[in-house]
Amino acid sequence: MRTARTPHASRAARSRRVALLAAAGLLVAACSGGGDITDSGEEPATTVSTVPGDTVAPTTTVAPDLLPDCPTDALASATGTTEIMFWHGMSSTLAEELQRLADVYNSSQSKVHVTLVGESYELTIDNYLQADPANKPDLVQLPEYMVQAVVDTESTVPVGKCIEASGFDTSAFLPTALTAYSTQGMQWGMPFNVSNPVLYYNKKAFVAAGLDPNKPPQSLEELREFSQQIVDSGAATYGLALDSGFDSGGGWYVEQWVAKAEEYYVDGDNGRTNRATQVLYNNDTGVELLTYMQDMINDGLAVSVGDNATGTDDLVKIADEQQPAAMAIHTSAALGGALDLLASGIFPQLSVDDLGIGPMPGPGGQPGALIGGASLWPVNSEDPVRIAAAWDFLTYLVGAQQQSEWAATTGYIPVRTDALELDPYKTTLATDPRFSVAYEQLLASPDALTSAGPVVGPLREMRSVLAAAISAIFAGADVKTTLDAAAEQANNLIADYNARNT
Amino acid sequence: MKRKLRDLPPALLMLVPSLALLGVWTIYPLARAIDYGHKRCDSTFRNCTDAGWDRYSQVFQSKQFQDALMVSLKLAVMTVPIGLVLGIGLAVLADKHLKGIGIFRTIFSSTVATGVAVASLVWFVLLQPQIGVLADLLSDWFPKLKNPGLLNDPDTALPAVALSSIWASLGFTFIIMMAGLQSVPRDLYESAYVDGAGSFRRFTNVTLPMLTPSILFVTVVLTTRALQSYGEIALLTQGGPQSTKATTTIPYLIYGNNSVIHNDIGTKSAAAVLLFLLCLVFAALQFRGFGKRVHYGN
Repeated sequence: MRTARTPHASRAARSRRVALLAAAGLLVAACSGGGDITDSGEEPATTVSTVPGDTVAPTTTVAPDLLPDCPTDALASATGTTEIMFWHGMSSTLAEELQRLADVYNSSQSKVHVTLVGESYELTIDNYLQADPANKPDLVQLPEYMVQAVVDTESTVPVGKCIEASGFDTSAFLPTALTAYSTQGMQWGMPFNVSNPVLYYNKKAFVAAGLDPNKPPQSLEELREFSQQIVDSGAATYGLALDSGFDSGGGWYVEQWVAKAEEYYVDGDNGRTNRATQVLYNNDTGVELLTYMQDMINDGLAVSVGDNATGTDDLVKIADEQQPAAMAIHTSAALGGALDLLASGIFPQLSVDDLGIGPMPGPGGQPGALIGGASLWPVNSEDPVRIAAAWDFLTYLVGAQQQSEWAATTGYIPVRTDALELDPYKTTLATDPRFSVAYEQLLASPDALTSAGPVVGPLREMRSVLAAAISAIFAGADVKTTLDAAAEQANNLIADYNARNT
Repeated sequence: MKRKLRDLPPALLMLVPSLALLGVWTIYPLARAIDYGHKRCDSTFRNCTDAGWDRYSQVFQSKQFQDALMVSLKLAVMTVPIGLVLGIGLAVLADKHLKGIGIFRTIFSSTVATGVAVASLVWFVLLQPQIGVLADLLSDWFPKLKNPGLLNDPDTALPAVALSSIWASLGFTFIIMMAGLQSVPRDLYESAYVDGAGSFRRFTNVTLPMLTPSILFVTVVLTTRALQSYGEIALLTQGGPQSTKATTTIPYLIYGNNSVIHNDIGTKSAAAVLLFLLCLVFAALQFRGFGKRVHYGN
């Protein structure tokens, strides 16, 4: 009996062997390799230094004839009501105001009826990219970091073609807002909701520290000086709250700071004259800037609130009862909501008037910022009437009166100068100058491609790579090594993206 | 043989509804994922080129996948044993014929009715460093609760996620263990008692062996759940702190908002298929490991 194995036992032994082998295989595999997950064997660009004005390759322009036409006159001959779908990325107060504007549009005429579908930006992007052409909306709102990726889908009608076909007057538009959504000589999207980062600060803490509450810091030197004074006087535990979220301190602000230093973020003149192949943020400017931030944290002048998972952790830190920070850098789009919140009395120690707004401090100490926010993209449904209807609704949304109302409610910057002359925004500006800070710093931006921000396919993923690096730097990692590693990973992403999408 | 053949058509007919559901919702997506896994596609997921089947081993060996695998395994090691012990403990406590015990049974099992999203939000608010209750009450003893907050510290983020996860699945473990306990024949306890076994001996020699089928089942389910955790991560940490990607599990690497492979269906699919294989291997190992120790009664 000792030698005779039952069939059952041998099967059990065999499957045990198989399981053990599989486990061993996993462990062996785990010990080898260690490449980058996005590495598909595409060679990333080798590092060359690119300085503004020193274009490496000849400028390329797209041929408008190869792009879809924008039949803006098709609506005039159409009969009945044209139903169109608009996908947007707004939520709460912003979504309500957008819906109100759409309702006014729908009831003001009977040729076009627009239906709004709102999700987060991220979901709107994913849904848009992955929807069948037949299921795509007629108009879509996409954030500034999506320009190249959407251009590459070849699914939209360039706004530039619509402007040309209809003779739409863009002379009142902010040039920087238009430039942000154009590459290689073509206007792709129409800026709609424009924001940029500004400095939110607690005026009471400024007073307590002996600082002028109406003079926020502008340069990085002042930022450090003021923070020191705030911490020394005990007016607040920290001067500045920093975060490393990929859409804020870990990504977007770095793009801002690089622009404020009047340098390019990616090559190809920020990807706007040529397709970008590599990032440039691991240069001296980048290292200097992040060393400065790291020192602020190490010296107890700034505090990192982490990845900013809620998107408001840095602002809440200003209202923290136990260990507050006096300042935080945050998008101007949150101003309306922040004032509403303070007015509700949820933070008894901070009133509506205690919140100060200043330009985003940065290298050079000059106001100036890249635009953030989102733009409107008419979708190529191949139905001239629906394209024309989408264009009609688009021109309504960027009309001077609508932009005035939109800006007054939300804190976004109007995309056109004539909106400032119209109520309600005119009154808002006159009664609350805090709303004009973001607008003024945008006007102050130099008219150069360094101030237009980077355009590169995987910008969203690159921000998350940089955010991880900045999170590590805030936690004490070596600045240069960390930035170099992030740059290498970002360059891999670009090479991989370009290989998959062109 | 003849009879078996005659039974085949009605048998197939009766299997059709479940086979159809399984086919549409499980087999077909799995086949598509396996196919996508060796492709490189653009952001619309429509224009693809073949990247070869060794893409699977590239993805498996990549730094990101290995890091995520470690996080997933750590999460499993933290949640499964503690969840099991707590579940058995609560079940043994509630398996008494006392007045009002039903109230406790309801409380102990209540997290079954709480979705991952709700449970995570509850813990998110509790752990919030600025306005959270835990930071307010306990930060004198645990300063990390306040600064930077458990979820923002690379060392405590994963244990904090595990805490929420254990809490959320405790109701499930409790109910399975309760059912297991109730099916233990009372005469086994009585004869053990007559043989002079104390309450500890009765627990180790009667209760635990009779619970082994439930323990195996719960272990497999909890391990799979830990390897597949996504909701907790998305709501509590978004895979962060990003400095160390301390809570980026494999599912979060695949689906996360801030994942570097977010718009890369090929790599995502390869990673997902690898995760499926991992769950399979772990379940097989657990079945083998328990082996004959599982006592299915007679």
